Amino acid sequence: MPRKIVHLDMDCFYAAIEVRDHPELAGKPVAVGGARDRRGVLTTCNYEAREFGVRSAMPTFQALQKCPHLIVMPTRFDVYRRESTKIRDILMKFSPVIEPLSLDEAFLDLSDHPGETSATVTVIRQLIWQKTRLTASAGIAPNKMLAKIASDWKKPNGQFEIRPEDISEFMVELPVRRLWGIGPKSAQRLAELGVNTCGDLQRYSRVELIEQFGKFGLELFSLCRGIDERPVEPDRIRKSLSSERTFPSDLTSLAQCEAKIPELFEEVMSDLKKSGATDQVKSAFIKIRFSDFTRTTVERAGLSLTVENFQALLRQGLSRKSLNVRLLGLGVRFHEPDSEGATQLELQM
Amino acid sequence: MKFSVSKDKLLEGLSTVQNVVSTRTTLPILSNVLLQAVEGELRLTTTDLDVGVRGRVEAHVERTGATTLPARRLFSIVRELPAAEIYAEVDTKNLASIRSGSSYFKILGLPEEEFPPLARFENAKEFSIAQKDLKDALRKTSYAISTDETRYVLNGILFSFKENKLTAVATDGRRLALVDLELEFPRSQEIDVIVPTKAVLELQRLVKEEGDVKVSIGENQIAFELNDALLVSKLIEGNYPNYRQVIPAEAKERITLEREVFLNAVRRVSLLASEKSNSVKLIFSKGNMDIVAVTPDVGEGKESLPVMYKGKDFSIAFNPEFLMAPLRNLPNDEVFLDLIDEMSPGVIKIHGAFLYVLMPMRLS
Repeated sequence: MPRKIVHLDMDCFYAAIEVRDHPELAGKPVAVGGARDRRGVLTTCNYEAREFGVRSAMPTFQALQKCPHLIVMPTRFDVYRRESTKIRDILMKFSPVIEPLSLDEAFLDLSDHPGETSATVTVIRQLIWQKTRLTASAGIAPNKMLAKIASDWKKPNGQFEIRPEDISEFMVELPVRRLWGIGPKSAQRLAELGVNTCGDLQRYSRVELIEQFGKFGLELFSLCRGIDERPVEPDRIRKSLSSERTFPSDLTSLAQCEAKIPELFEEVMSDLKKSGATDQVKSAFIKIRFSDFTRTTVERAGLSLTVENFQALLRQGLSRKSLNVRLLGLGVRFHEPDSEGATQLELQM
Repeated sequence: MKFSVSKDKLLEGLSTVQNVVSTRTTLPILSNVLLQAVEGELRLTTTDLDVGVRGRVEAHVERTGATTLPARRLFSIVRELPAAEIYAEVDTKNLASIRSGSSYFKILGLPEEEFPPLARFENAKEFSIAQKDLKDALRKTSYAISTDETRYVLNGILFSFKENKLTAVATDGRRLALVDLELEFPRSQEIDVIVPTKAVLELQRLVKEEGDVKVSIGENQIAFELNDALLVSKLIEGNYPNYRQVIPAEAKERITLEREVFLNAVRRVSLLASEKSNSVKLIFSKGNMDIVAVTPDVGEGKESLPVMYKGKDFSIAFNPEFLMAPLRNLPNDEVFLDLIDEMSPGVIKIHGAFLYVLMPMRLS
């Protein structure tokens, strides 16, 4: 029995929420992200902004060069998280097998859900619209890789299904750069070999692919044929949880850096509480990127999670270089259950 | 100064104080024992600046005075001396001459003035506790002290003097041992202090079954006076975590066990607990408890104990060391294991004011 995997992807999630909550922005190019001065980076932008060549992860100043009347809204992660939870609650009604990839993206395994999958997905998207006034796109396929590719096909506010019998035909035409793990570099290397589509790649044997790509070659052999056996993992183990900030201008003193800790701390603690993994925390860490772009991490196991302790880690990290600070991150790492899967739980003090 | 003392008594006095002396120290004076000859006795003091111990031995003092001598060296010399009586004389340059039978030793010391004085106690809060009770409380809790230096407030035992009770608590964040002692004192004396591990270890060496110990708590210092000794220690600064909140209010299941039988069974089974996961599983079914340990690719160990258990089938995993530690340190024949579910803390209790909270291990 082929599986029925859905990849659900909210359309420009953060930007859509901002437009929903500020109706006067409707129809205008809107982005969410860091402030317009020097160092901010966009997290998301809406389709109106994309027409100007604005992309997510683009530095704000660059986006403003491309689209001078772009409206850049500050991020409101508490709101995004709240909406994300609403959406997850809707998904839970259809299947317990959900693997969230981020706030706005998740895999869902509907193999055990009765009825026509594409009809179910339509209902899910309608429910999301009713509850949140936000649109979602979805891809339906027998595996995760294809579902993810499919969700992009009819974006925004659409859905696309790749049926098992369509896979061969679909793959032949699919550009290799759409495959999992193929970035610009690998794509270029493949292009030099004359490989542009998965169909081109299918002509290579396992051995040839291993010679070219090492172990990843084996995976490529399957992927380019549309084969992907990875299960949807509802409780994919998180290794860490953290929050970080790049500052508009470098921080120049210890006091300035220390003052940033409480806010980062609150964010991480709030996420940690929601994750329900408080008893799984192994260590606390502070990440610092200096003005010369070098970075350092100070990590301590067993530290109780307090602002003061993080500030102590910060002091330790700052003492390693006498440079200004560009970015600060604060986070916790979790115990990784070993192969035998036993983890000592902690008393909640 | 000039005195004579019995070899056995001096040896006993030195062994009381010499544990405190640090082997590696940047301050040479801290390797030395302070000797003070006063009327009818010889006082011996050592310190590492955090913890200090003073003992005294009966001596025939011809000329009073004081000096400091290398503690370990003095101890090894005294131990080897051939006769029962030791004669010692120290000149103004701190050169000590020690005679006993056919032996004659000269040791160079350091002046008394260089020795850091033990803390003084003014306006201290004072308590009197039966040594037997204190010894018992230390034994039942000290094994749970954290050795993780990053959690320094847990590197000691909490002594909480509240509501006519002394509560001693030790935890490492995974298990927690607690003893309550009835003790009368006025409300104004109530105080919480954390006594560091090193002082706890020294105190355990000093306490006996008979007599009382006088406890004085001053500004960031604590002193214990017992028998012929005085132990002074710095306290750990900081707030002890709110340990009350980890003690489960009530148990769903109570299993009564013979302490020794349980301890021996866990010890045997734990031979097959893997180094990696280091866990034993307690599996309950009607009237029975299986203790199981498995190491993949090696084998498994299992013991079955008949127990009064009527609940539904259920299993819970613990670190065997954490399970055995209280069992080794309790005198009782019978212990109770209170459980809620496989993710909630288990509690070991006895007939008496003791409890041990232990977090289980999660198996995936």
